[in-house]
Amino acid sequence: MPRRRLDIRTASALAGGALLAALALRGVPWFAGLAPPPTPFTHGVTFLEPAYSLLRDAASRIPAGASVVVLREPRNPGFESHFYRFGLALLPGRRVLPSAFFDSFTPPETWATAEYRIVVGGRPTPGDDELVLTTPSGTVWQRKKR
Amino acid sequence: MTAFWIAPLLLMPLVGAPLLLRASFRRFPVAAGVVLAGAAGAILTSFVMTLFALVGRRWSLSAVAAAATLLAWALSQLPAFAPDPALPSAARPGLASRLAALVSAGAIAAAAFATYLAAATSPDLFNFWGTKAQRFAAASEIDVAYLKEPFHGFLHPYYPPLVTNLGAFASMAAGRFSWEGAIATFPLLVAALAVGLPGTLGGSRSRSAAASALAVSAVSIVGIRAFVAGNGDTPLVFFETLAMALLLRSDAGDPSLQWLAGLLLAGAATTKVEGLPFAMASAGLFVALRGGPFRSALETTARLLGPASLALAAWFVFGASRGLFHEYSEYGPFATLHLEHFPRVASALAAALAGAAHGLPFLIPLVVVVVSGRPSRASWTAIGTAGALVAFLLFAYLHMAADPRLWVMWSAARVLMPVPVMLALAIAADGPAEEPSPR
Repeated sequence: MPRRRLDIRTASALAGGALLAALALRGVPWFAGLAPPPTPFTHGVTFLEPAYSLLRDAASRIPAGASVVVLREPRNPGFESHFYRFGLALLPGRRVLPSAFFDSFTPPETWATAEYRIVVGGRPTPGDDELVLTTPSGTVWQRKKR
Repeated sequence: MTAFWIAPLLLMPLVGAPLLLRASFRRFPVAAGVVLAGAAGAILTSFVMTLFALVGRRWSLSAVAAAATLLAWALSQLPAFAPDPALPSAARPGLASRLAALVSAGAIAAAAFATYLAAATSPDLFNFWGTKAQRFAAASEIDVAYLKEPFHGFLHPYYPPLVTNLGAFASMAAGRFSWEGAIATFPLLVAALAVGLPGTLGGSRSRSAAASALAVSAVSIVGIRAFVAGNGDTPLVFFETLAMALLLRSDAGDPSLQWLAGLLLAGAATTKVEGLPFAMASAGLFVALRGGPFRSALETTARLLGPASLALAAWFVFGASRGLFHEYSEYGPFATLHLEHFPRVASALAAALAGAAHGLPFLIPLVVVVVSGRPSRASWTAIGTAGALVAFLLFAYLHMAADPRLWVMWSAARVLMPVPVMLALAIAADGPAEEPSPR
């Protein structure tokens, strides 16, 4: 009967919508409370959180026009490909150099002249560079003028 | 800052208002009219920005906004928009409509809280969408030199311009790019769909409301699970959904509605690459299913695909004239398929969809279509378009010479987000032998 078909369509769509909305609500990280999370990736693509956090904090320490490279310690071309992209996004006005591209390391001469090294993760061997910033996510180093 | 960045986007209905205020569109309830005007305004604003870039004129907020509003007014003078349609009687919302509103409110709340609590952010916002918009705003143009720099190929210079154009527009108004603002567009567009879709669909009020609630819930959950906040997938599904809603109406033969649907399809085609196959499939199916004389079919096709053709022509002429790109091609030459990857693609696709709430956002709308009985003739426009999207995605994945499983895993759920939405809309399609509206 026509009326019955209408009822099934409407009712099944409503039930399906309610189930999906409930599942969507269930997927929200309520456990975290309603305080603003530290980064936009805190409860999502979490492997990007340290790089985001460090680059955001580093932005105020790196002047416009300076050259920068974003590395990971220990080195990893997959991560560093992402970090290069994030560097371009979060450090506008600086010259961001790639240490890795599409999951492969670039030749060191591509980025070795960078005035600033942002190192996500462990602390690298200090060398002659000056430590500019330390956060739980990593460190920022300024190349000494030679 | 976030509010200042979002405000210009929320004012887009003013740009589209000259068009949506025409007598022909009085058939829409106010909420749907405002959402449609916003969509039209955004599409025209982006089109004007592309034209400015094409002729080498730098963007200014006032010039772009004035030109886009003038364009909306000029379009509104087309004879097709003159007729004053019979207005539908304003029925009171029944229980089903109220329940649907409650379901949609839950879906909006989920999208809003997931976004706020950093559970839906798209990495691609930082990988390229936002990076380009930020740079273009600083340059007040599509910065060709920046896109051509070594190691900037990952910014996908050929990607259609709407998202970055509008992001640059909002950034110019706010003074800088707002990452939080871009992320907030996800729940805002979910809310806009929830508000505008029932009235855009038309037909039986309770059924439209229920179908809209299902569609909005699907967008919300897939969007959260596939991390779409801030990327191009939500605006894409927004334009596609509104366009399809117009095509499924019982008065979809009206040229004014077809022009409006064509404008929305242009929005889809200039938002993401997969917007073009969507536009072609939906327009093609609509014309084929309606039948009629050849001349009429030709005119309908022109109304539905003319705006997208014009908008993409401007984009490709810009790309070719600047030596940036000549075609959509990144993962391999067009139609050079690696069929040996099919089993890998199929298994990765299944795994990717299962990863989004066990595939339920895709399965539930399918089940609803099945239990709803024989689909109306009109509804095949939506169902067929959903099938065409799946086929296009397989076609695209099979272009990759290397193992495409990782690509499939990270992209399939969000790229297929329009599929459950199309299935949800199909149940609201009016057909020639449909049941009467409820009392």
